Amino acid sequence: MTGLLAVITVSHYLAVGAFFFVTGVLCMATKRNALGVLMGIELVLNGANLNFIAFGSKYLRSESLGLDGQLMALFVIILAAAEAAVALAIALSFYNAHSTIDVDQGDELKG
Amino acid sequence: MLLGTFDLHTFLFVLFALTACLFAAGVLFSSNIVRMAFHLVLSLGSSAGLFFLAGAEFVGAMQLMIYVGGTLVLLVFGVMLTAQHRFLEMRTNAGEWVLSLVVGGALLMVLLQAAFSVSQWNTPNTERSQLAVDESKAATPIGAALAGVRVDKLQQKDAHLRAGMSGYLMPFVIVSMHLLVVLVGAAYLARPRMAVRNPKGGG
Amino acid sequence: MDTSLLPVLLGLAVLLPLGSFWVILIAGNRLGKQAATVAVGAIVGAGVLSFWSLAIWLVHYFPTEAAHGHGGGHGSEHEAGEVEQPAHGKASEGHAAHASPSHSGHAETLASDKASGTGRLDRSVDSQTMLVSAHLLGRSVEESHAGVEEHAGGAAEGAKEGPSARGPPFAGDYYTLGVFGNLRLTIGYYIDTLTVLMFCMVTLIASCIHFYAIGYMHEELHDVTDHEVTLESGRHLTRPGRFHRFFQYLSLFCFSMLGLVLAGNIAMVFVFWELVGICSYFLIGFYIERKSATNAANKAFITNRVGDFGMIIGLMALWTGLGTFQFGAYDANGDGKVEGTEQGLFELVRPGPDHHFRVPLSIALAESREEVASLVKGWRSQAAAEGKQLNEAELQKRLAAYAKEAGWLEPSSGKTPRGYWWLIIGGIGIFCGCVGKSAQFPLHVWLPDAMEGPTPVSALVHSATMVAAGVYLVGRFYPVFTPEVLWVIALIGCITLFMAATIAITATDIKRVLAYSTISQLGYMMLSLGVGGWVAGLMHLVTHAFFKSLLFLCSGSVIHAVHTNDMMEMGGLRKKMPYTAYTMLIGCLAIAGVSIPFLIGFSGYYSKDRILEQAFVFMQQNHSIWGAVFFYAALGGAAITAFYMFRLWFLTFAGKPRNEHRYEHAHESPKVMYVPLIILAVFATGVAWKLPDWVPGSGLHLAGLLEQARPAGLHGTMTGYWTELVWPDEHFAHAPEQHYSVVVPVTLLATGTALAGISLAAVMYLWGWLSPGDVRRRFPRLYAFLWNKWYFDELYAFLLIQPTHGIARLIAMFDRRWIDWVIDGSANLTRAFANAWEKIVDRGIVDGLANLFAGWVWSIGVWFHRLETGRLRQYVLYLIVGFLALFVLVSLFWSSAMAASP
Repeated sequence: MTGLLAVITVSHYLAVGAFFFVTGVLCMATKRNALGVLMGIELVLNGANLNFIAFGSKYLRSESLGLDGQLMALFVIILAAAEAAVALAIALSFYNAHSTIDVDQGDELKG
Repeated sequence: MLLGTFDLHTFLFVLFALTACLFAAGVLFSSNIVRMAFHLVLSLGSSAGLFFLAGAEFVGAMQLMIYVGGTLVLLVFGVMLTAQHRFLEMRTNAGEWVLSLVVGGALLMVLLQAAFSVSQWNTPNTERSQLAVDESKAATPIGAALAGVRVDKLQQKDAHLRAGMSGYLMPFVIVSMHLLVVLVGAAYLARPRMAVRNPKGGG
Repeated sequence: MDTSLLPVLLGLAVLLPLGSFWVILIAGNRLGKQAATVAVGAIVGAGVLSFWSLAIWLVHYFPTEAAHGHGGGHGSEHEAGEVEQPAHGKASEGHAAHASPSHSGHAETLASDKASGTGRLDRSVDSQTMLVSAHLLGRSVEESHAGVEEHAGGAAEGAKEGPSARGPPFAGDYYTLGVFGNLRLTIGYYIDTLTVLMFCMVTLIASCIHFYAIGYMHEELHDVTDHEVTLESGRHLTRPGRFHRFFQYLSLFCFSMLGLVLAGNIAMVFVFWELVGICSYFLIGFYIERKSATNAANKAFITNRVGDFGMIIGLMALWTGLGTFQFGAYDANGDGKVEGTEQGLFELVRPGPDHHFRVPLSIALAESREEVASLVKGWRSQAAAEGKQLNEAELQKRLAAYAKEAGWLEPSSGKTPRGYWWLIIGGIGIFCGCVGKSAQFPLHVWLPDAMEGPTPVSALVHSATMVAAGVYLVGRFYPVFTPEVLWVIALIGCITLFMAATIAITATDIKRVLAYSTISQLGYMMLSLGVGGWVAGLMHLVTHAFFKSLLFLCSGSVIHAVHTNDMMEMGGLRKKMPYTAYTMLIGCLAIAGVSIPFLIGFSGYYSKDRILEQAFVFMQQNHSIWGAVFFYAALGGAAITAFYMFRLWFLTFAGKPRNEHRYEHAHESPKVMYVPLIILAVFATGVAWKLPDWVPGSGLHLAGLLEQARPAGLHGTMTGYWTELVWPDEHFAHAPEQHYSVVVPVTLLATGTALAGISLAAVMYLWGWLSPGDVRRRFPRLYAFLWNKWYFDELYAFLLIQPTHGIARLIAMFDRRWIDWVIDGSANLTRAFANAWEKIVDRGIVDGLANLFAGWVWSIGVWFHRLETGRLRQYVLYLIVGFLALFVLVSLFWSSAMAASP
């Protein structure tokens, strides 16, 4: 229970971000559904966002990035939205072309 | 003692962190695409709570609005558009799972080790109790920064350094245009195929 | 109408046929029948220009009737006269006016010294000695000097004061191709009456032949079936007509001949000489599909090469000895003065006022090269010892003096001048070329075979162009020929005329009879030139050109009508084709030299009588066997000529038809063919006529015109160094005091022989009193000998062709057996080596290495290929693994390398 009593630091946030990141990457590596892969990407981006927020927070560290971190996180969110739109379009296109959403089927370009 | 040392901030962090990680793991281990989407919503929502705790209320709000409210709705639409029965649950074989988990675990170890190895990141901020609540309000400075003015840096003494701290007007414009182009592109990519593939087949 | 117009007009006349040639060459296929129009227009244009030139010439230099008796009037002509006018002329006139006759020779010598200028020759030799030695026939020195004097004034004033007896030769250059040391290569001209006359003759006859050919060659306008060529399939060859090509060659032929006549230097002569040869080759081989035609063309060309080989030697000898290609003098600096003038060939060998044959100093020096070198070396060292420098002019002067003193040029009795034999070699060499072109013994064999060409070509080749070229060249080079060379020319001509005439007796092919007749007549010309009858020989060239082209065109007309060459298939044709028959009769009368003695006759009468007269005088003056041989051969030849020509006419036109079928189909030729016959008949009759002496302008006749062109130095009698023979002056025969001892007997003899020949022909072939078959049986060996053309072809086959074939076979065997063996062996060796090399080095080492590396790269690629599954999810794992690996690597090196630095 001492964990609950400890003061939260940047490292804790980084740990959560790392967990998100690894979860996202594993999602990408294991999901055969293209939308699952897309979700993994969202998780990875969110993990990165957590890091930005942690480094920009004045509560966690006195010499923080400040407003820059938050702005970065904002841009990442925007980027994630754009990425989601495009990736979804690609996924739909793929679905139209292959009549499937299984990324393992999309291996025509292999050497 | 227990209450005296009880820190609400810590408690809430643990709560949100656990929820977020739990649902993230749910996303990973769930094999149903609809459930995955649901877990993802909860996970991202919980991480928005972490944002709030870190003092980034505006970003947290954006996280809820854009991510949870926008992006994920988009994803759910995608799920619905492709959700034929055979695609709802696509299982990966065990070998791949094992391999991925081993590699992912290694990566996690490395990242955690990095996260806790830097002492500056480990030490708690002793001055945080002095911080006024309203000082952390960030919506107005962010808006000003996006419009090209860094109000948060006004106290910077060094004029030379201050000159470099112009706002984010340019990236903001670029991002706006980027988003527009991306949406147009996405609409183009996802358009229904009108062309007839086989002219002999008639149409 | 200035004389300076002459080179322009004649040059244009040469270029017109060339232009026609190019036009037809480029646009021939499209022109069709118009090709004939182009060619005819060109040759007629050239003819107009030629006659225009003749008119200009006559305006300035009208021939006077002075040929007989006072030949000295033409005695001295100076070759440099054309560049001289102002200075030289006046100077000599001034001297001549004051000097007594016996001294005027010196004055003239001085003047000519100035004229020739270069100092290359020894000019200070006493002219008296030459003059005295020259006049063996008793003409007085004074008379000769008077002639010299007369000329010196006349030639200079002639151009300004109206017509004079003689014109100078006009020599000059159109264009200088290049200058190589002393050697100047130019496109030049040399114009005298001979040139102008040849132009008129060639263009006139060629025009007639062109017109005639339009009719004769008309079947070439469309596809032709050649009945003399049988293909392997057994059918006759059918080919497109070559009407335009025929006229194209005719134009080139005329261009070549005119260029040859106009040529102003040896190099040009040689070029046009060869052009004439190649044109005859094209035209004789016009029916190239016929084996016989190609053989005949080859024979003509190769035989001519033999002669031309000699010609090249001659040209080189002359060039080496004399150092110039020019005929006439050349005004190098163009200032109209005589200094800096380059002397022409003729002037070099016949310098001085009397133009007697002299060996130039240059040849003597070239002959004794080593002696000269040692002399010069001695003088140089002597001069060096005295501290002086000898310049070139001083050296030349000393050498000339030395040569005179040592008697190199004017040796005492019993010796020849140094380098004399060079001139003999040069002369005989050039005559070799003429032997080939003019079909003289022993190179006459090509001419009868040349009958394979179309008949208009035969007419052209036999009259105006090819064979005339040889005689013309002998006439042109006449001043360069030494008496010894003239003797060779006379001998060859004599043999040729007699041999060809006898062969013509037995020939039955109408064109071959004419061919041998041509050879025989050319022999006459050569004989005439050889015994000193320059005018006679060239006059015969002109008259012969007219009647021989007439005869050939007539025979062509006959062949055109009956489609055979064999006279035994003809007979009685005069009723069917009167124009042809009677124009041919005129030709026969002309060639036989029929006349009413001393009054009037056909053209052949005048020229042949001149030849016989000259031969007769030659015989009179030389009590040697040669004189008699030359004269009696000529006389006998005249009789035989008359015989075979009338044999031909009787067999063809008189009597009864021997082949009814051919007779039925015979017809008179179209107008375009017989009108030229009539024109030529008119000329054949009257080209040599002259007006009576008391009519003004009576000098205007063929002989008078030629007299104007007589080369310098032929006014007197010549003797050689190596021969005892004497070459009498041509005028000697025509002197009034000689009239009853020379002209009368010769004329009567000639007429008698001609009539005898005609009578014999009539007896045998017209009235049939004497059967030719009987005669044949009576002399079987003689007949076979003549029938086989003296076995010349067989002799050449045995002497030259078979040995050549034998040697060729031997060499071919050697080639196959040894050279091929060596080559095959080396080839095999190379191939074996190459095979081994390929196996070991190429395949083993080079390919092996390359394959090895390629194999490695390939296997690496294949191995990596397995990583590339195309599966997205695996790539993500690779990413992570890569990141981890990077992390591990960095952390490994972190502590040692990075942490140490701060």
